[in-house]
Amino acid sequence: MGNNVIEVENVSRAFPVPGGEFWALKKINAQIPEGSFVILKGRSGSGKTTLLNLICTLDKPTEGIIKIDGTDVAKLSDHEKEDMRRTKMGFVFQSVSLIPSLNAFQNVEFSMRMAGIAPGKERDKRVEECLKLVGLGNRLTHMPAEMSGGEQQRVAIARALAHKPKLILADEPTAELDSAMAARVAQLFADMSKKEGISILMTTHDVGLMGAADFLIELENGERIDGRNND
Amino acid sequence: MLGIMLQKMWHKKWMNLSLLLGCILLVATAISFPLYQEAVYDRMLQDEFDYYLASTGTWPTQISVLISSKKDRGGNTMKSMEALMPKLYSDLSVTPKETVLYYCLTKYGVHSEYMRNDADDLYARLGTKSGLKDHAKLISGEMYSESGLTEDGAIEVVISQDCMTKQGYLVGETIVFDAAKDHDGHPLRAYIKGVFGKENENDYYWQEKKGEFDDVFLMNTDLFMNMFTGDNADKYTIVCNYTAMFEYEDISASSIENLSAWTEYYVHRSSYKNVISDPPYVDVIASYNNKHSRISATLVILQIPVLIMLAAFLLMISGQMYEMERNEISVIKSRGSSRAQIFRLYLYQGLFLTGLGALIGIPFGMLLAKLLGATRNFLIFDLSETLAVRFTPMAAIYAGAAMLLGLICLTVPAIKHSRVSIVNLKQQKAMKKKALWEKLFVDVICIAVAGYGYYNFRKNSADMAESVLNGKSLDPLLYLASSLMIIGLGLLFLRLQPLALKLIYTIGKKRWKPASFVSFMENVKNGRKQQLIMLFLIMTVSLGMYHSTVARTIVENAVANTEYKDGCDLVMKEVWTEIIDQNGAKTGAYIEPDVGKYLSAPFIDSYTKVYNITDATVSAGTSGKLPVNLLGIQTKEYGQITYVKKKLNGKHYYELLNELAVVENGVLVSSNFRDKLGYKVGDTITYLNSRNKSASGVIVDFFDYWPAFSSEVSVVQPDGKVAVESNYLVVAHYEYLHEKLGEMPFEIWASQKEGTGTKDIFDWIQTNDVRLTKYINRNVDLEDAATDPLLQGTNGVLTMGFVVTLLLCGVGYLIYWIMALKERELVFGVLRASGFHKSELFHMLINEQIFCGILSILAGFGIGKLTSFLFVPILQKAYASTSQILPMQLITNSADLVRLIAVIGMMMIVCLAVLTVMLLRMNVAKALKLGED
Repeated sequence: MGNNVIEVENVSRAFPVPGGEFWALKKINAQIPEGSFVILKGRSGSGKTTLLNLICTLDKPTEGIIKIDGTDVAKLSDHEKEDMRRTKMGFVFQSVSLIPSLNAFQNVEFSMRMAGIAPGKERDKRVEECLKLVGLGNRLTHMPAEMSGGEQQRVAIARALAHKPKLILADEPTAELDSAMAARVAQLFADMSKKEGISILMTTHDVGLMGAADFLIELENGERIDGRNND
Repeated sequence: MLGIMLQKMWHKKWMNLSLLLGCILLVATAISFPLYQEAVYDRMLQDEFDYYLASTGTWPTQISVLISSKKDRGGNTMKSMEALMPKLYSDLSVTPKETVLYYCLTKYGVHSEYMRNDADDLYARLGTKSGLKDHAKLISGEMYSESGLTEDGAIEVVISQDCMTKQGYLVGETIVFDAAKDHDGHPLRAYIKGVFGKENENDYYWQEKKGEFDDVFLMNTDLFMNMFTGDNADKYTIVCNYTAMFEYEDISASSIENLSAWTEYYVHRSSYKNVISDPPYVDVIASYNNKHSRISATLVILQIPVLIMLAAFLLMISGQMYEMERNEISVIKSRGSSRAQIFRLYLYQGLFLTGLGALIGIPFGMLLAKLLGATRNFLIFDLSETLAVRFTPMAAIYAGAAMLLGLICLTVPAIKHSRVSIVNLKQQKAMKKKALWEKLFVDVICIAVAGYGYYNFRKNSADMAESVLNGKSLDPLLYLASSLMIIGLGLLFLRLQPLALKLIYTIGKKRWKPASFVSFMENVKNGRKQQLIMLFLIMTVSLGMYHSTVARTIVENAVANTEYKDGCDLVMKEVWTEIIDQNGAKTGAYIEPDVGKYLSAPFIDSYTKVYNITDATVSAGTSGKLPVNLLGIQTKEYGQITYVKKKLNGKHYYELLNELAVVENGVLVSSNFRDKLGYKVGDTITYLNSRNKSASGVIVDFFDYWPAFSSEVSVVQPDGKVAVESNYLVVAHYEYLHEKLGEMPFEIWASQKEGTGTKDIFDWIQTNDVRLTKYINRNVDLEDAATDPLLQGTNGVLTMGFVVTLLLCGVGYLIYWIMALKERELVFGVLRASGFHKSELFHMLINEQIFCGILSILAGFGIGKLTSFLFVPILQKAYASTSQILPMQLITNSADLVRLIAVIGMMMIVCLAVLTVMLLRMNVAKALKLGED
């Protein structure tokens, strides 16, 4: 494996609560190498989403440093962070997050527009390729409302990887899917990380999916408990 | 249930507040129309009464009973008649003003106690008229005393001046009625104590026909009653004239029907039918009814679009709300709630909102009606003069209807939605349906019907003008046609707008930046949702433009027309007494009134003498004489006082005056004269006055328009139809006419000093004892034109319609966008999370405002302009054709346009500001519901 796409160094995040502070994350360390599929595991309230929000730069850590692709995100302006999100990251959200007025093809194409990829045959080909990859090669012109939840989630995955980001962040993408579909999605992530060289960080509490990952990061009460915090 | 309802409403308080606002506006608008109309009608009726009293001197609301009680046993006839009036007062609930009884015995031969040689021819009637003392002045002698009798038992009487001169009675003379005896059998004796005249010539007390008092001796009323009525009634025949006057201020528009029914019964069908004469107010009411029907037809038509928009507003808002609550309703439904339960929930909510709406809406509507009455022009109010507005039963009916309409708008969508369970909701969401109007081509149909209407009205505009001249109201279809045109074009725009956007989108399909791309796609896919708000915007702007043009055109043309028709500020012509020679023949010479007093009149700025000879002729070769109007002017002074717009004649007015000024015997001639007789500049014409004195003049130029000149006049023919006849004008020099035609009565044309008013003029007339045969006061006429109920009503309704529409549009637009934004919160969250810049989000929002808002506004301007251009000239005929002389001008006031743009711009800025705040406050992570912690 090559360089680390994500480097999390002693990151803590406190939220003000009545009568003091609540530490949602406590001195977390983590490295995610290029092309690896990592599962972020933990119960509700363990700090998964807080960590994910910090990594995708929607939130700032109270302490510690986060580097994405070698860049310390604390040194970036909001605008630069947004640029980074649209070029270097892809997102898959827990709930269905497609733009309802765009069909499957346009939804996938949209992330490439955002990343500034020039229009042309190449771009169209890539969109079709991504949709084929998630098994929806025959549903290019379907609108989100005409597809099942699983299908929509797969379009979201295709969208997340279409612009060849360094990193895909997926927040409970399987939460609303049945177990068979969830397993398929997990497998898809595993395959994609190898095939496209994209690092994938996925949160889930579905133990059945753990086997597909290269490794796990497990959180509990804001602390990393898989024993590799100090690696 | 009530708890759930209130909780639900609180949860969506903004939404419900807008719904409440909609209900308030609906009720207020609905009732303001009948309230306003009622108040306007009241005022109009009072104006009619005032006018009648001023022009005829007859008190309009009076009932006259004329009976002859021949040897009235026990005085029954008189008693029953006297009982009739109190009944009238209570039946009509009016305040009695004055009751005048005028009783006379029949005519008897009389002789004077003086020795006279004409004794055989003398005759007289003994009578009494109540209230004489207050309305008569004594010319000589004295009024009869309290007792009414002289010391020697003669009846004291007063006689009229005519009676004195015609029959030669003298004050102090005692007259004996040979054939009429008192109850003791002695002949009646009357002592002439005085001669009376009318205190005031215009006093409505004096209603007797001319010559009525030529042979009447008026005596004390009580004495008359004692001697000749009651127990003594069977000895005399009395002609009783009983006039009951009541306050016409008590008659309101709504009580007219009552009064008419009363009149119809008593005057035509009751046992009194032969003794009660047609009351004068019958004419007043007929004239009022004629105007009333014309106004009400117009006002009703004008308010329809506003009411439709109000209902559409409620539908839109409630539709939005259901859209938002669809999920909730579906979930409740899936959990086993019956449709009836869901419907009831919404019914209660609707009742609550409409009830509260009515509570606030009714006083608000009364305020609106008041404001309407203060309208002077489009969006211009004169708050010093408001209407007296009363809440009427009709308004209550309107309020009820408005509440019902509101309730229907608020609950009907629930019926539709309560059928939907969560399962078919998902299916429905996936479907894209064409709107019904699109499938039925409602837009094309509307335009076609309006186009047909336009074509028809254009073709028949002459007929229409004539029917308006004959007092018919304007065809309601005409206004409807213009409304249909606006709706049709608006819908057509809605049909074309997505296609146009799609075209633009397709041009740069792959190249659009993300923000534009999303906006385009949003509009292409979800544009249909915006159609109602877009239609609203289009209607607001186009109706605003159209209505402002209609109102301004009508008012300003009426004003310009009045200004033109009057010629100058003041025109006065005094009574000229013609000198009669010894043989009683007219000499043609006059006693010229003193003109010097005009010089010092405090209200006159400058004045000039004008000959205005309306019965002149021009010899027209073989075809005989052509009647013309001959005007003699002093060019310099006349030019200072009068004015004609340059574009009317295509030449400056002063140029015409200058051309005339340099030719001593020159004449300016109206161009229809040239067209009729084929003259050209330099030709000589011979004109004559009614005495056949003639002069000749060299034509120096022709004109189409001249102060106060109308090339056509409407003449009412013997069969009652109105015909239009040509009118020709010849303008010559005053001095030249004076020299050639001799002395003639002239008019004084004057400009009024700033800051002086009608009162100054009347005071001056009074102190100088000026007797006028012609009096024109432009300021008064202009005020009359501006407060004409039809004009003012139109302005009021149009202004109010506009204000209400604007209010609705603003609120509707804001609500629509807030809802739309809330609906798309998740999408915005996704976009922001995926790295969408804030600036891009605003860009997107602005794009969508342009697609939906700006385009609609622009379309509204275009449609409003087009509709005005097509329909205002036709509509204007309805208002002005009876007296319009000037060419009608389409008036669009740029200030109105600025106001319209300012208000709509403000609305959009507020909307954008609210949306921006909403966007800035949006928590991306929350919007996405990232995880549970």
